[in-house]
Amino acid sequence: MTGYTFLVVIAVAQSVTLTSLLIAIFVNRWLRQRRLAWVLPRRTVVDEAMKGWALGEVGPELVARALEALPSADAVESLVGWSGRLSGERWRGLAVVLDGRPWTKRLRAAVRARRWWRRRQAARFLSVAATPADAQLLVRLLRDPHPAVHMAAANTLQRFVDVPLLRLVVERLPEMAAPIQTHYAGVLRATGGAVVPLLIERLHDVYDPGLPRFVEFAGRLADAGAREAVTALADHANPEVRVQVARALGDFPHAASVMALRALVTDAAWEVRAQAVRALGRIAEPETLPDLVPRLADAVWWVRLRAALALMRIGDPGRDALLKAEIGAQPDARFVARLILGLTPQALSEFAA
Amino acid sequence: MSEIVTSLDASIIVYFLILNSFYALLLVLSLPEVWEHTRLADDEDLVRLQETGAPPPISILVPAYNEEATIDASVTAILTLDYRQYEVIVVNDGSTDATMERLQDAFDLYEVPRIHPEVLATRPIRAMYRSRTRPRIVVLDKENGGKADSLNAGINASRWPLVIAVDADTLIEPNAMLRLTRPFLLSQRIAAVGGTVRVANGSVIRDGRVLEPRVPSRFLPGVQVVEYLRAFLYGRLGWNRLGGNLIISGAFGLFRKDYLLEIGGYRTDSVVEDFDVVVRLHRHLRDRHVPYVITFVPDPVAWTEVPETLAVLGRQRERWHRGLILTMWQYRGMLFRPRYGPVGFLGIPFFAFGEMLAPVVEVLGYVITAAGLYLGVLNSGFAVMFFLVALSYGMILSFWGIVLEEVGFRRYRRWSDLGRLLLFAALENFGYRQLTVWYRLRAFWSALRDRHSWGRMTRTGFAPAGGGPAK
Repeated sequence: MTGYTFLVVIAVAQSVTLTSLLIAIFVNRWLRQRRLAWVLPRRTVVDEAMKGWALGEVGPELVARALEALPSADAVESLVGWSGRLSGERWRGLAVVLDGRPWTKRLRAAVRARRWWRRRQAARFLSVAATPADAQLLVRLLRDPHPAVHMAAANTLQRFVDVPLLRLVVERLPEMAAPIQTHYAGVLRATGGAVVPLLIERLHDVYDPGLPRFVEFAGRLADAGAREAVTALADHANPEVRVQVARALGDFPHAASVMALRALVTDAAWEVRAQAVRALGRIAEPETLPDLVPRLADAVWWVRLRAALALMRIGDPGRDALLKAEIGAQPDARFVARLILGLTPQALSEFAA
Repeated sequence: MSEIVTSLDASIIVYFLILNSFYALLLVLSLPEVWEHTRLADDEDLVRLQETGAPPPISILVPAYNEEATIDASVTAILTLDYRQYEVIVVNDGSTDATMERLQDAFDLYEVPRIHPEVLATRPIRAMYRSRTRPRIVVLDKENGGKADSLNAGINASRWPLVIAVDADTLIEPNAMLRLTRPFLLSQRIAAVGGTVRVANGSVIRDGRVLEPRVPSRFLPGVQVVEYLRAFLYGRLGWNRLGGNLIISGAFGLFRKDYLLEIGGYRTDSVVEDFDVVVRLHRHLRDRHVPYVITFVPDPVAWTEVPETLAVLGRQRERWHRGLILTMWQYRGMLFRPRYGPVGFLGIPFFAFGEMLAPVVEVLGYVITAAGLYLGVLNSGFAVMFFLVALSYGMILSFWGIVLEEVGFRRYRRWSDLGRLLLFAALENFGYRQLTVWYRLRAFWSALRDRHSWGRMTRTGFAPAGGGPAK
């Protein structure tokens, strides 16, 4: 084969490829438009059925029938969308009605699918329509190696309180990244503290290497039931635990919290001191002035800054203390006091956020 | 003489064969990537994520130098983002126009004391402001030091663990930040994430938002729509799979702040600070054996204004290529070093021998072919066929970008826009491509003279409230 023939062969292959690409572009667009024209009226029917169901005008059977007319991906999308707008017990009724229908059976079977996006669709469906019989499927989804799947499954916990599932979540807390933990905390806050007893169990195990994460999670949940267990860890040997305790106690305004924080403001680790003064600022108890004022002269800038901001949150007594520090002998305290006193209330609130 | 011409010609053919095979590899690898990302983007329950507060807080850095035409629209658009926890740090880099006044008027600024530690060295900060009307805004007014210096000042003043650099002429889609932070939710190893930058020229824009994406009818901006689609949708997606993603667009890239601080922030003496920072991040994290991922996600979108005149385009492309040359020279030590993994073995070699040298080899090809024809060494039929095959290959790559756009994202809904995309994809190879080769060649000359200037980008500004397409 000569070079010229070789080029001709390539040119022919390129022409075929270009033509195929052009055809693919046009056919893809045409198919999508056709699909949209088919799906849109059915979506409207589902929306009408959902509205009627929300107003109590129609039963869940009608909703189930309308959903059945949609492709399963669109049905799941619709269910998830409406679940954000409608709350309450009624979803259990719909879950029962949906149970056993061919398309929901297929979705449940997808929990074992090889492709993660199919498992994710199953998780999204179950997050709205799980029944007690789905507990095992949910365990599997919460253990899924793909984070998108288990994050979708986590939403189930909002409607489906099941102790083994909650235990599984608590067990996995130490390995969760902060945003994922926040997601779980956001979901579980709606369950009325069902997870708290399980969390307290873990907080009692002072040798658990995952303890800082459990304390952090308790702080994110901000459930008063966990306060005592968190406070008890204020003198833990691990500074990371103490940092998390100091941070969490700001969400538990209580005399015992204040007492623990007063001890933590003199901690050897500056991160603990910074979190402790910040938490005292959030509680804003005037009695803590004698603990906060010395922190204006702390060796670490962040502690000084947080202490000054905390004093401002306490109100007039705190402001007076800052004014005194502004003309005091300690240069670091003078500087930070002048800085914070110069801020507008709006700027202060933004810093305190 | 004829032997030299023949062997040079053969070498050039082999070079382009290897380079185009690599492009073909990227093209194939982009398919599973776009499929996965489309699955994630389609099903994403953004509302639920927002409700639980999972998306991490971010600091948005907006360096602004003489951006009076667009600054208030850009910042206003950023303030309407669908994201819970973020701050916007606008850094006025010693503008000589009315940028600072526009910010003052638009956001009712008041001066506040600076209380952040200045970890990265920057040009002096004149003042720091906050807004009475929009509490999320922080404005730093500083002496001119360039974009990198402004970004460093912004990093110093930022309070959140993730920072994103956004150009002042960039319009970010409302849910783009939520989408951009998705990799940080799905993996703990993410060091940086880049989103897609698209061309805003010709689109219907109102109140700093692109309401209806359109493909401009004018050739120059129109052809750049195709170029951007190709670069973002298959180039960077393909690199995701190879693990050697070297470019996170400076107009839209989210970084872990602690890593940026570890590498000393952006380099002020680089003309392509976005490229430089990513290469340094790779080097730093690989040197320290930190497991990390630098990735690109296609569904978060930011819109930018592209040059509409040849003069501005020429300056921009020359700067980009000059930056590439200088960066490749600077980090030549990473080339083929096993410790840098796919970056050292694929990323850097591709950019050095492929992207950087391609214009030189292409022009050499034209010259050698002409010489070969003149000397009678080359068959004219062969030369014409080779030229057509080369052009056709470029067309396939552009069409592939359009296929990915149509399959995954479908921003351009009108058939007329699709028609224009295809037309520009076909025409791009006749004139425009050769023009950019010329601009890139010029970059070698200015790189030799080590020029660090940025060149001036004239902004026409986005359409005012009330609609109408941007110019």
